[in-house]
Amino acid sequence: MKTLLIGEYREGKLLDSTYELFGFASQMGSETAMLMVGSESQLPAYGGTLYLADAATCGEYNPDLHKKLILDAVQKENPDYIVFVHSSYGWDLAPRVAASLKVAQVSELIGVVPGGFEVGCCNAKMRRTVKPNGARAVLTIQAGAFPVEQPGGTPQLQKLAASESGTLEFVGYEPAEKKDVDLGKAEIIVSAGRGIGKKDNVPVIAALAKALGGELGASRPVVDAGWVEHSHQVGTTGQTVSPKLYVACGISGAIQHLAGMKKSDFIVAINKDKDAPIGEIADVLVVADVMQFVPALTAKVAR
Amino acid sequence: MKLLVCIKQVPDLESRFKPNAEGVWYNETDLAWRMNEYDEYAVEQAVQLREKLGEGTELTVLSIGSDRVVEAIKKALAMGADNAAHIQDPAAASKDPWQIASIIATYAKDKAFDIIFTGMQSQDRGSAQVGVTVAEQLGIACTTTIVGFEYDSGNIRAKRELEGGIKGIVKMKTPALVTCQMGLNVPRYPTLPNIMKAKKKEIAVIPVADLLKEEALATTASFHPPAKKGGGIVLEGDVGVLVDQLIAILKDKTAVLR
Amino acid sequence: MEATREIYWNIGHGVVIPMYILAFAAFGVMAWGFWKRLPIWRQGKALDRFDRYDERVKRMIAEVFSQEKIFRVTDGGIFHALFFWGFLTLFAGTMLVMFQADFFTPLLHVNILSGEFYKAFSLLLDLAGLVSLAMLAGLIIRRFIIMPKGLEIVRDDYIVLQLLLAILITGFFLEGARMAATELRQNPGLAIFSPGGLLAAQPMKFMSQEGLLVTHKILWWLHFALVLGFFYAIPYTKLRHILTTSVNAFLAPFEPKGFITTINLEDESVEQFGAAAITDLTWKDIFDADACTSCKRCQDRCPAYATDKPLSPMKIVKQIGELAEGNPSGNLIETVSQDALWSCTTCRACQDVCPANIEHVNKILEMRRNLTLMEGAFPGDEVRTAVSNIEVNGNPFGLTYAARGEWADGLDLISMESGEEVEILYFVGCYASFDKRNQQIAKSFVTICNAAGIKVGILGKEEKCCGEPLRKLGNEYLYQMMAQENIELIKGYGVKRIVTTCPHCFNTLARDYKDLGLDVPVEHYSTYVSRLITDERLKIKPNAETFNFTYHDSCYLGRYMDIIEQPRSILKAAGGQITEMDKSGYDSFCCSAGGGRILAEEKLGSKISEARVKMAQETGAPLLVSNCPFCLTMFEDGIKTGGAEGELQVRDLAEILAERITA
Repeated sequence: MKTLLIGEYREGKLLDSTYELFGFASQMGSETAMLMVGSESQLPAYGGTLYLADAATCGEYNPDLHKKLILDAVQKENPDYIVFVHSSYGWDLAPRVAASLKVAQVSELIGVVPGGFEVGCCNAKMRRTVKPNGARAVLTIQAGAFPVEQPGGTPQLQKLAASESGTLEFVGYEPAEKKDVDLGKAEIIVSAGRGIGKKDNVPVIAALAKALGGELGASRPVVDAGWVEHSHQVGTTGQTVSPKLYVACGISGAIQHLAGMKKSDFIVAINKDKDAPIGEIADVLVVADVMQFVPALTAKVAR
Repeated sequence: MKLLVCIKQVPDLESRFKPNAEGVWYNETDLAWRMNEYDEYAVEQAVQLREKLGEGTELTVLSIGSDRVVEAIKKALAMGADNAAHIQDPAAASKDPWQIASIIATYAKDKAFDIIFTGMQSQDRGSAQVGVTVAEQLGIACTTTIVGFEYDSGNIRAKRELEGGIKGIVKMKTPALVTCQMGLNVPRYPTLPNIMKAKKKEIAVIPVADLLKEEALATTASFHPPAKKGGGIVLEGDVGVLVDQLIAILKDKTAVLR
Repeated sequence: MEATREIYWNIGHGVVIPMYILAFAAFGVMAWGFWKRLPIWRQGKALDRFDRYDERVKRMIAEVFSQEKIFRVTDGGIFHALFFWGFLTLFAGTMLVMFQADFFTPLLHVNILSGEFYKAFSLLLDLAGLVSLAMLAGLIIRRFIIMPKGLEIVRDDYIVLQLLLAILITGFFLEGARMAATELRQNPGLAIFSPGGLLAAQPMKFMSQEGLLVTHKILWWLHFALVLGFFYAIPYTKLRHILTTSVNAFLAPFEPKGFITTINLEDESVEQFGAAAITDLTWKDIFDADACTSCKRCQDRCPAYATDKPLSPMKIVKQIGELAEGNPSGNLIETVSQDALWSCTTCRACQDVCPANIEHVNKILEMRRNLTLMEGAFPGDEVRTAVSNIEVNGNPFGLTYAARGEWADGLDLISMESGEEVEILYFVGCYASFDKRNQQIAKSFVTICNAAGIKVGILGKEEKCCGEPLRKLGNEYLYQMMAQENIELIKGYGVKRIVTTCPHCFNTLARDYKDLGLDVPVEHYSTYVSRLITDERLKIKPNAETFNFTYHDSCYLGRYMDIIEQPRSILKAAGGQITEMDKSGYDSFCCSAGGGRILAEEKLGSKISEARVKMAQETGAPLLVSNCPFCLTMFEDGIKTGGAEGELQVRDLAEILAERITA
């Protein structure tokens, strides 16, 4: 079995998520080759074949061109699986490759099970086991679902070049809104979700964060509602965090949020709903009214 | 100018999901239905463009599914779409993304749509494949996950949402397809006169057999709830007691509380 | 000497013709003034308020002459009522003098104004004049010296109060001059029956006879001119309320309180919903502005105004009048402001206390209908979400509808789906179905019914939001969708009686659903349980422990449905000792949740619920009892955020009763 892993590169840097692809490949127990549109100065610690195209000429986001490069590599390597990270790069490019090859794509894998691939659905409340009908398939893996693995070594470079311009013109990046807090470095994060009810209750959550000596985080709906600044947002569209302690207050656990905090060392969830998806990844689920429990906890901790 | 917006009707995600008899998708009993949230952004963006371009522009809304999807179609019509295509398919849930995309592509092939809007993914299946695959099958430009959209005489400038809050700016020429991310706009609440007008708008009903020429590329083998994570402790009861229990656990299992 | 006086003394009968010409001219000018306002009122839409003519006339006479609505608020009210009666007496007396001089004497040759009757007549009128003067002085002091908060001083106040004062003073001095020249010299014994005139005569007593005659003539003409001025001024100043406010007692609606016109959604010719302009309101809505006396009683009672929100019901009424008169094509909603419109809790305190029968709430609702149905507007994104939740899952929380009946798991009640016969259908409502705290109300009610041996049915997952918050937010479309589904269901089960624990469901099912074809008796559990106790189906424990409490009247029970005594009686029977809040009964102060505000965040001003919790605390009672899930929710919140935790507890009547009955 052979997998062609598609590495990710953005703003001149190899993305860490690329190493999760190796984690997946080892779980599959397959041979690997890799393709990346990046730079020779930013090579992954990987000893296998690396098809490398120069991002300076091929662009960091140019799906038409990148698709062609991948199809080239597929022809050379004849892999069983072409694997992307399920990211803004991966979910954009994978279906194009799958369509060109006319093979199945299975999106956002969270696991490999006998008889197929495990994917989440219905806002992570349910699972599906999906089986490609043909021998070859395109896969995207959920960020954080597979262990990070650094195979080590120096890649054997196979340089690819392409010159077509494609149908899209990439203009450039727009930086994220300024942050007054760096959740990525926080050891303790206490996050507010829609379950806190209203904006007025945010200080109650912030008080617990302060009492624990941590930072205030928030789920996307809370940020979208304007209750908390965007810089505090945890999740795929906010920040991916891995603190020693993560306390989720009134967060049901939408997949976007879970993906951003599941690597935390210890997760405490406080939620009225015993069946909330956050319970699946929490080390401790406290079934209680957030606005009753949190002030009581803060009082005890502060003492 | 011709615009197409593709929508899906999905169960409300607060619903409780149970596997159906075949165990490959959910049982539809006791589910509440609504328009896929991502698609609402797509409809809103399409309607905004439709309004900006005014006369001579036609916005069609398309949905695949059983008769119940007409509710979602009507909502899109009330929001401002001009007409609709209901691809009649009681077994839409058993189609894989490739088939769904090919149904749409077959429908759109000879209709010369200038811009096609879709949601970034569906809330229930979440494959994020259909939009891009339609563009591939039609051979038109496509970008995904947009949170910003501008159009000016054949040129689209879109803002893609990337990880970590960064945005990527992309330009392309029509014909093109964009998949819409939440936060792209504020989907309007249909006004009563528009709800009334929508009742009179034409909904073309097309049997799926007329459009589906492709075999499925993937099969769902099973639909099931996730296995409960082992080791997770569930605390229930009086708040005062819960606080003490949690503090004891934190002291025992983490280094952050002493 | 006979007790009487010479009418037209010193003036001469030659004045009769010019006097009548001038008087009729004054009435003509007054009529013309009102005639010119007709087109302003007629800008509004048609509305029939001339049916049941006799009842309307009776109601108008009773209200105007009794001054009962004015009396309800004693500040200003007593002054106004006494002044009204005094001035009315003077007017009637003057009329009698007129009839005596110009009809009885010339045509019948009788003088009724003589002898003992004259003495009594003279004394009554003088006293009426003195009372009027004293009350007017009180009103002047109140307005210009005490200046109660919110009472505005406008041009009209100067004109009207000075004019009335001048009429009364010149009247007394006129009488004084006549008395100084005649009575005091010829028949001093009679003067005592004109105490006001006697007092005014004192400084003039020493004047020469010629001087008195001239002074009297001048004062007569001055007094006459002022009275003419009074009639001229009626249509152009606040004095117009003499007519318009009285007429409004005639025009007041006969529909039950809280009645809202049901929009016919089948009528496809209608393309305009709600009020965006003056012309979208009814003519009565515009007329109301003319009936408003700016007494600000509505504003004083408005919970939104009291907590610094940009809403004053009085201001809205005035803004409508100003637009109708000065800028009929102006933007009504912009003038009133969306913030003001969304701040209303539809508590009806304004309308209930209004002495002029102005209908504030439906004006606000019409404008909200326009915002919601024509603009797709919401008071906030949280409301947009809640409304879309109701649309999808039939409850504002967005919880799965399938779980609606789960609170009842294991309880002794019947699911209507089973087809079993029931005595009552309990319409549970969203809060008691889904909210943990409010589920206690539902469970307690079931306990009570079980104890009384009543077979209770619920609709369970088939029940949907009654649509009340939607309707009050102006979303008539979605309200009717919800209502139709509920009605069809209820009819299908052949329900004989519906009981609710939520006053909002109660009002909607009992009154609003009638328009959509539901004709089943609906009541709130307060009255239902009260009857169970009277009928001895339910027995309260004989030696239940006593407790002190204060009771909050839910707007939709008290003001809307006149249910004020029953809940108090139940609580007293159950061992409660009540300490009333200042604002109770019809004067109750809203909890903040009405008018769809339950779905909205309270972003403007301070919190209404905290204000109410404070009032409850001031009674010293440790327990606040309500009988509405919305109120309970708001007070639980207000107690927490207002820092009353540990001092005040809020419970529903059902919870208390359930503990104190014999099974």
